[in-house]
Amino acid sequence: MNVSPTTWLKRASWALPVVLAVASTAHAAPGQLPEEVFDGLVETSPHKNYLSQSQQNRMMMPDNPAWYVVEDGEKLFNEPRGPKNVPMSKCDFGKGPGVLDGAYVELPRYFADTGKVMDLDSRLEHCMKTLQGYTDADPAVKQKNGSNSDVMKLQAYIASKSGGYAWNPPMEHPLEKAMRNAGEVMFYRRSSVMDFACATCHSQPDKRIRASYLPSITVPEEWTKAISWPAYRVGHDNVRSSQHRLTGCFWQMRYPHAKNGSDATIALLSFWTDAARGQPAILPDMKR
Amino acid sequence: MFNKKNSFVAATFAAASAVLLAFSTSVHAEAKVDYTKMSPEQLAEYLIFESDSFYLDQPTQEGTTGRDRLVQDEIQKICSLRPGQELDQKSREKIMAISRATIKYPEGGIKLGDWKKGRELAWSGFGWRTAHNPDDHTGSRQPGGNCYNCHEMATDRTGGNLGFTLTGYGARGTSPEVLKYTYDMIYNSNAFFPCTNMPRIGVKGLLTETQISDIMAYLLDPESPVNENVNPVRPQK
Repeated sequence: MNVSPTTWLKRASWALPVVLAVASTAHAAPGQLPEEVFDGLVETSPHKNYLSQSQQNRMMMPDNPAWYVVEDGEKLFNEPRGPKNVPMSKCDFGKGPGVLDGAYVELPRYFADTGKVMDLDSRLEHCMKTLQGYTDADPAVKQKNGSNSDVMKLQAYIASKSGGYAWNPPMEHPLEKAMRNAGEVMFYRRSSVMDFACATCHSQPDKRIRASYLPSITVPEEWTKAISWPAYRVGHDNVRSSQHRLTGCFWQMRYPHAKNGSDATIALLSFWTDAARGQPAILPDMKR
Repeated sequence: MFNKKNSFVAATFAAASAVLLAFSTSVHAEAKVDYTKMSPEQLAEYLIFESDSFYLDQPTQEGTTGRDRLVQDEIQKICSLRPGQELDQKSREKIMAISRATIKYPEGGIKLGDWKKGRELAWSGFGWRTAHNPDDHTGSRQPGGNCYNCHEMATDRTGGNLGFTLTGYGARGTSPEVLKYTYDMIYNSNAFFPCTNMPRIGVKGLLTETQISDIMAYLLDPESPVNENVNPVRPQK
């Protein structure tokens, strides 16, 4: 077996959660490496074109540059930072302060302290401001994109602690349901000069834009890969977030620019995460 | 010098900042809204237009705003079908009738243009994008037709498969009926396929009359690579 230099690092932190976690579905396997999760999906998916379209990306997964971003994120996460000199490990991502194992696959979720449904991006920003004392003007908060941004490093690390877990966004709070259902309406809602909805490109399997196969929301095995962000985007040479994916889609759909962490974007993320429910997350992933 | 692209981008961000300012003063008014009291449809509209989620004042290439782009017209409303929702016969007929009425023809009649220009237009996906990186239509690049994104055409370039293949389209010949059908399909294909995925290129003014005639030539000209090595299945009139 080909063991990459970073494999020990990736495996080490899994020993405990693997023992403790009880997989909620047959597919979920906390602690599996992203490429192992991916291979399992290729095997079970009734549609393979989208998943299997890049052999090169599959081959590079063990050496995914996102692992270095995850490593940077771990350091940032644990060190006291910001004007208040508090570590991010005091932040509650839904399962208690500092509890990260399986936290990301349960986002977006309702947080009582803000009274809002929040995604990883907005929760992180909330904690950077309230716990660490940063303001919107600080580069730590302001810079949202790129492997070198604090936000991307932290997101990559936090999400990596959900690799192999089944997507399981909570739907108990009425706001969580309301956001998910509004997100569904938005996903199928056609507008702008080209009449596009998200569904135009993402509701039938085995469809392509030019040579690129598109993930379909109707195929959960494809959809979990589609929403497995943060992922290293080979074509961008950067780790990208869910919010960044949305921006790219809105651009192609000829929509105006959406605001990072805004409620419309969180509603879409609630719906798209719910659509992958039960499927294991590939984190960090590697995409075209 | 202050070039046109920069001024467009600057205008975009000036407008965006104005939106931010406007909303920072109305946050308290917004806080009273209870999302759980709205239907999913009402909440979706609220989130798009009232929740400070989009830069709604962002300028567009057609001189409108982001808000105008997100407001649905009648066809978009009817065609926003979710799983389990189907277009009923009445709506089908209504969309086809509305759509037929939208089609306007060139003054001198439908003519074929330059297939070589049409080939590049069919390949280009440039144009009308805004969001974080607005397309500048005032420079040397004109908006493209986006045809290859969804259709296979000449096989030397890979086309998508969201639309049906157009390879060998010219086998239909160039009768007035074929010219009209092809023109209508590009202008507003809802006239034949209600709630099609294809943009209403003529209705929305996405391409000029000349550009449409060039793309039609790319489809129908016997010299066009779209029709290379393809045997005509129907005799030409």
